[in-house]
Amino acid sequence: MEKKVLLAENQPEFGAGLEKALEMTPADVVYEIRDSGMKGRGGAGFPTGVKWNLAGASSSDVKYVICNADEGEPGTFKDRLLLEKYSERLIEGMAIGGYAIGGSHGIIYLRAEYPYLIPAIEKARKNLMNKGLLGENIKGSGFSFDVEIRPGAGAYVCGEETSLIESLEGKRGEPRNKPPYPVNSGYLAKPTIVNNVETFCAVPHIILNGSGWYSDLGAGDCTGTKLFSISGDVEKPGVYEIPMGAPLKDLLELAGAKDVQAVQVGGASGSTIPASEIHRALSFKDLPPGGSVIVFNNSVDMIEVLANFMEFFVHESCGQCTPCREGNLRLMDAIHLIINGDICCVESLTPFFELAETMKLSSKCGLGQTSANCFIDIINNFVELSGECECGECNCEGGDE
Amino acid sequence: MARNPQEIVADSISEFGNGRERIMQILTRVNNELSYVPSEAIEAIADATGVSAAEVYSVVTFYSFFSTEPRGRNIVRLCSTISCAMAGQGEVLDALIEEFGIEPFETTEDYRLTIETTPCIGLCDQAPAMLVNGEPHVKLTPEKACEIVRGLE
Amino acid sequence: MHSVTVNINGKEYDVKEGSTILTVCKELGFDIPTLCHHPDLSIAGNCRVCVVEVEGWRTLVPACVTPITPNMVVRTDSSKVRRTRKLLLELILANHHNNCPECERNGNCELQSLAERYNIRFNRFQTVEKPESFVEVSPAIMRDSSKCIMCTRCVRTCEELQSVAVIKSVGRSSEVHIGTFEDKGLGDVACTQCGQCINRCPTGALYEKDETAPVWAALEDPGKIVVVQTAPAVRVGLEEALGLPTDHHTGKMAAALRRLGFDRVLDTDFSADLTIIEEGHELLFRLKDALVEKKEVALPMITSCSPGWIKFIEHKHNDYLPNLSTCKSPQQMFGAIAKTYLCDKEGFDPAKIVSVSVMPCTAKKFEKDRPEMNDSGFKDVDYVITTRELARMIREAGIDFDNLPIEKFDRFMGDSTGAAAIFGATGGVMEAALRTAYEVATGKEIPFKGLNVMPVRGFEGIKEASIPMPDEMAEGWEFLAGATLKIAVAHGLANADKLLKAVKAGEAEYHFIEIMACPGGCLGGGGQPIPTDMEKRMERMRAIYAEDESLPLRKSHENPEIQLLYAEYLNEPLGPKSHHLLHTKYTKRDRF
Ligand SMILES: Cc1cc2nc3c(=O)[nH]c(=O)nc-3n(C[C@H](O)[C@H](O)[C@H](O)COP(=O)(O)O)c2cc1C
Ligand code: SF4
Ligand code: SF4
Ligand code: SF4
Ligand code: SF4
Ligand code: FES
Ligand code: FES
Repeated sequence: MEKKVLLAENQPEFGAGLEKALEMTPADVVYEIRDSGMKGRGGAGFPTGVKWNLAGASSSDVKYVICNADEGEPGTFKDRLLLEKYSERLIEGMAIGGYAIGGSHGIIYLRAEYPYLIPAIEKARKNLMNKGLLGENIKGSGFSFDVEIRPGAGAYVCGEETSLIESLEGKRGEPRNKPPYPVNSGYLAKPTIVNNVETFCAVPHIILNGSGWYSDLGAGDCTGTKLFSISGDVEKPGVYEIPMGAPLKDLLELAGAKDVQAVQVGGASGSTIPASEIHRALSFKDLPPGGSVIVFNNSVDMIEVLANFMEFFVHESCGQCTPCREGNLRLMDAIHLIINGDICCVESLTPFFELAETMKLSSKCGLGQTSANCFIDIINNFVELSGECECGECNCEGGDE
Repeated sequence: MARNPQEIVADSISEFGNGRERIMQILTRVNNELSYVPSEAIEAIADATGVSAAEVYSVVTFYSFFSTEPRGRNIVRLCSTISCAMAGQGEVLDALIEEFGIEPFETTEDYRLTIETTPCIGLCDQAPAMLVNGEPHVKLTPEKACEIVRGLE
Repeated sequence: MHSVTVNINGKEYDVKEGSTILTVCKELGFDIPTLCHHPDLSIAGNCRVCVVEVEGWRTLVPACVTPITPNMVVRTDSSKVRRTRKLLLELILANHHNNCPECERNGNCELQSLAERYNIRFNRFQTVEKPESFVEVSPAIMRDSSKCIMCTRCVRTCEELQSVAVIKSVGRSSEVHIGTFEDKGLGDVACTQCGQCINRCPTGALYEKDETAPVWAALEDPGKIVVVQTAPAVRVGLEEALGLPTDHHTGKMAAALRRLGFDRVLDTDFSADLTIIEEGHELLFRLKDALVEKKEVALPMITSCSPGWIKFIEHKHNDYLPNLSTCKSPQQMFGAIAKTYLCDKEGFDPAKIVSVSVMPCTAKKFEKDRPEMNDSGFKDVDYVITTRELARMIREAGIDFDNLPIEKFDRFMGDSTGAAAIFGATGGVMEAALRTAYEVATGKEIPFKGLNVMPVRGFEGIKEASIPMPDEMAEGWEFLAGATLKIAVAHGLANADKLLKAVKAGEAEYHFIEIMACPGGCLGGGGQPIPTDMEKRMERMRAIYAEDESLPLRKSHENPEIQLLYAEYLNEPLGPKSHHLLHTKYTKRDRF
C-alpha cells in the first residue's frame, strides 16, 4: 500500500538529480517531466511539464521559479514535513525547474504559520551552496540559481498562485484576472512558474529515474506517488505516501480509521463523501487529492463541521469578487438557519443550492469556485431535512423562479 | 528596549531593499518586533517604497498576522479548524480565557499576552495545536496550554 | 490586429482579435451588463455581472476581462447566464442599503437600473438586516459605505487618473470596505476633493456635499441679494445633467438662473478674463525679474485655477508652492470683486450679498471655505453648487429648460470673451493667457491661425509647445526679443504628477505650465454629469471651442467690462488692489 519515494528511507543523494539535469538540455528536462505525466501536487492538478514548457517558451532575460509553501488548506501538513526534512530536495527541484525554463531566481513563499521551518530551509540552502549546487555557474554549467525565503502573513488565499504573486509584490493577496497567466507574466510581470513543495520535491526523482519509472508508480494517467495528510478520527494521524489512483480505503486502513461516517478529501474545498464511498480512487478523475484527508466518525455532527468550514471561507475569502464575498456569508446564514431549526425542509434550501452553483460558475478564483462544495456535499449526504415543510414557516415557496 | 518603528523600517530596507515587492518582508519584521504595525512604520514604508500610506495600510489590513493595534509581547494563536476542534480545542480555549481573563483577539492590560484563534496551522496530526510567538505546541490539553502560557515572560 | 471568426449567440461574426468579449459584443449590439467596468479605468473583473458562457470552459467567464480568441463560441443570453447575473444582483442588493427614493443617485444609478432590468422584486438572500447607512462627511465629498458595492472604480480613479491613491480596499473578506490610511475621513487625508471618484461611482456611495438647501433658503430670503456665477464648463454640461439634447445654450442657463430667483445672474467667464489679465502679467513680470533683474524667481510658473490641483501640490509637492501663480481661481476672484466693486456699482450692502457659484467642480466647495478667502472683508464665495446640483434645482423648480428664451447675463460682471470660454477645457487657460500675454509683450496678435493655439488643445495627457518671440517687442519687453517661451499643459493629476516630477528631475524645462486636476480639464470636473467617458468629454470639448469661435471677442483684455473694472477700480494689473483682492497664498499640507 505505502510506496515511499519522496519519503523513502534510502534516498538518492541531494543534488544528484540536479547534476544529471545539468547534463541534459533544458528542453529535455522539460520533456522528461512532461512525459512523466506528473500533475501539480498543490491541488489544481495542472500538468507540470506543460507549465514549464510554456514558461520556457516565454522569452525574457529574467524568469522566476516560485515554490508555493503556503500550505493552508485545512487538514494539510504534508509540505510542512517535506520542508522540515527534505528542503534540500525541494531546492534541488526548484533549481532543475530554473534550468528547464531559463530562470535563475527562486523564491519560497512560506506561510507565516511555519516560521520555525526557516532554519531547516536555510540550512538546506547552505548545504547545497557548499556542494557547489547553488549559486553562480553551478558545476561550471554556466547556469546560476539561488533561492530566497519570503514570508506570508496569514491569508489562505495567498496559496492561489496569482494571489501569491501579488503578495510577493507587496500587495494585498487578491487573485489576478487571467489571462495573462504567470508563465507569461507573473512575478514583476516576468515569466514565472509556481509549483507546490511536493511537486518540486518529486522532480529530482523523475530526472534520476526517468519518466517511465515515475508514471509506472501510479495508475493510468494519474502518475507517481502522492503524499496525504490524514487527521481527524484516526488512530495514526500523519503523512502517508501511496501511489496515485489508489482507493481511499487503503489510506484509511493505514491510518487506522474506524467507525467512519464521512471522509473529506482535498480539504474544505474538496469533496466530503459518506463511508459507503471509500472504495473510490484518489485520482484527478475521481476524488481529486489535494493533500488532506480528514476522517469523521459516527459521533460527529456534520452540520457543525460544515459550520466550521464555512467560517473558514468567510474568514479567508479575499473579498474582492461578489459571488465569493457575499455568497459565503449567505451560505453561512443558511447553515445557521438550519442549526437553529429555522429551516426544516430541503425545498427552502433551493435558492442556496442555486447560490452554490453561481459561486462555482462565476467566482474569480478557485476559492470561491470551490467553497460551496462542502455545503453541497454535507447538506446532501449528512444533514437530515424533511422532504416536505413541517414548520410551515420556512418560506420554502420563496423566490420567483 | 523596543526599537522605534522608523529604525526597524530603515534596517529592513537596508537588508531587503526599498522596492515595493519588499513590503511584506518589511512589514513582517516590524510586526514581529513590535507585535503590531504602527502608523509611523506605515508612513516610513510608504516614503521608502513610493506607494501611498493608504496602500500600505490596505496591505496591512489584508493579512491576519498583521495588526494595526498594539498587541501583547506574547501572541498565542490557537487553531480553530476542524481537526483541532474535534480534538478538544474548545476546552483549551475556554481554559485560556478563564485563566488569563481575555477573549480571543484581546490583550491583557499589561501587554503580556494576546490570544487569537486562527485557521489550520498545519499541525492537524498533533491536534489541538497552537503557535506561541511562532513556535508550535501540539497535543494540547487545557492544563498543558495554560502551563505553557503561564511560563511566558 | 487581424480579424477572427467567432460565434456569438448562434451567429458567426468577424471581429478583431485581442479585444475583450465585452468590447466585441458592445460593437455588435449584444448588451452585457457591467458594474465594475469603466472605460476610463483598468479592468478589475470583480463584480462578475458581465459573465457569459464560452464553449469549453468549466465556468462562466467575465466578458470585461476575457479576450476574444479564434473560433470562440459565446453565449450572452443563455438561461445559465441570466440566472447567474440575477443571483449576483440579489447578493449585492442583500448587502446594500437600497433606499432608492432617498438616494442621491435615484434615477441615475447603475445598480438600480440593473435591478430593474433583471426584475429583482424579491430577494431570496435577504437573510440578515440590510447595512445601516453610514455617511462620512468631508468638505466636498460624502461617502456612504452602505451603498458601496466594492467595484473599486473609485480606487482605480484615485490611483490611475489622479495618482493620489488615498482610497483603497481595506480589510479582507466580509470586512472589506473602501477606506483610507487608518480609515480617517477624506477631509483628514491627502484627498484633493476633486470628485473624480464620484463621477465613476456606479451607485450612491459617493456624492458631493449638497449645498442646494442653503441656496434655496437664500433665494427665499427677501433680505438677501443673491448673486450667482457660472463656470465655463457648466454650460456644456447642464443639459446633459438635465437629460436634454445638448445644444449648449448659455442663454437658456442664464434664463433658468433668473427663474430660480437669483438677483444677479453673472458669469465666472468674466473673472476668467480677469484671471488672464493678472496671470498673464504675473508671468511676464516673473520672466522680467528672472532675466532682467536677475532675481531669484520661481519658474516655471504654474497655473492656480484648479483647486484640486492646488490641494494636490500642497500635499505632495509643496517644495514647489512658490512656483504657483498667486492668482486666485476665477471663482474666488469673482467673489472678491462681487462683494466690493459690484456693490459699489450697484449700491448693494456687501453684508447682504449671498455669493453663489455654480461649478463643474467639487474641489471648489473646499476652496471657498479656505480661511484666507475673505479679502473683501466677507467670505468671497458663500455657496458652491455643482452642475448636477443646479440641474436638480432646475428640475425641482419645475422650469421647462428646453423652452426657455435665450437671455443675457447681467451687467458689470457678465461680459466675457472666447478666451474665458475655453477655460473649461484642458489647455484653455494656457491658450487664453498666451493670447493676452503675447499681445501685451509684442503688441501683435499671437501668430496662430484664427487665434487657435492648436498644440495645447486636445486630450493628450501632457502637451508641450514652444512659442518663439519676434525680434521686435513692445516697449518694456525688449528683453524677450527672439526668446522662446516653453510651455506645457497637463490634465488629470496623474499627468500633473508625472510632469512635475520631470521638471523636478531637470528632465524638462518650461516657463509656464497649466495644470487642471480633472481629466479633460473642468469639462470633466467632479461636479459634472454622471456618467462620464471619453466620448462625452469630447462632445463637451467640441462645444467649448465652438463657443469660443462664435464669440465676437476672443481675447481677455478686449472684454469691455474688464477694461471698465481696471479703469474704475483696480487701476492696473498686479496693482495694490489686485494684490489685496485677487491674489492669495498657499499652505503646506501633510503628504498622507
Ligand atoms: C484558494 C486556493 C488556495 C491554494 N492553496 C495552495 C497551497 O497552499 N499550496 C499550493 O501548492 N497550491 C495551492 N493552490 C493551488 C495554486 O493556485 C497552484 O495551482 C499551485 O501552487 C500550482 O502548483 P502545482 O501545479 O505544483 O500544484 C491554491 C489554490 C487556490 C485557489
Ligand atoms: S473567489 Fe473569493 S478569494 Fe477568489 S477572488 Fe473572488 S473573493 Fe477573492
Ligand atoms: S445606490 Fe442605487 S440602488 Fe442603491 S439606493 Fe441609491 S439609487 Fe438605489
Ligand atoms: S476626491 Fe479625488 S483625490 Fe479624493 S478620493 Fe476622490 S478621486 Fe481621490
Ligand atoms: S464607493 Fe462607489 S466606486 Fe467606490 S467601490 Fe464603492 S460603489 Fe464602487
Ligand atoms: S486543524 Fe488545527 S492545525 Fe490543522
Ligand atoms: S464588469 Fe466584468 S466583472 Fe465587473
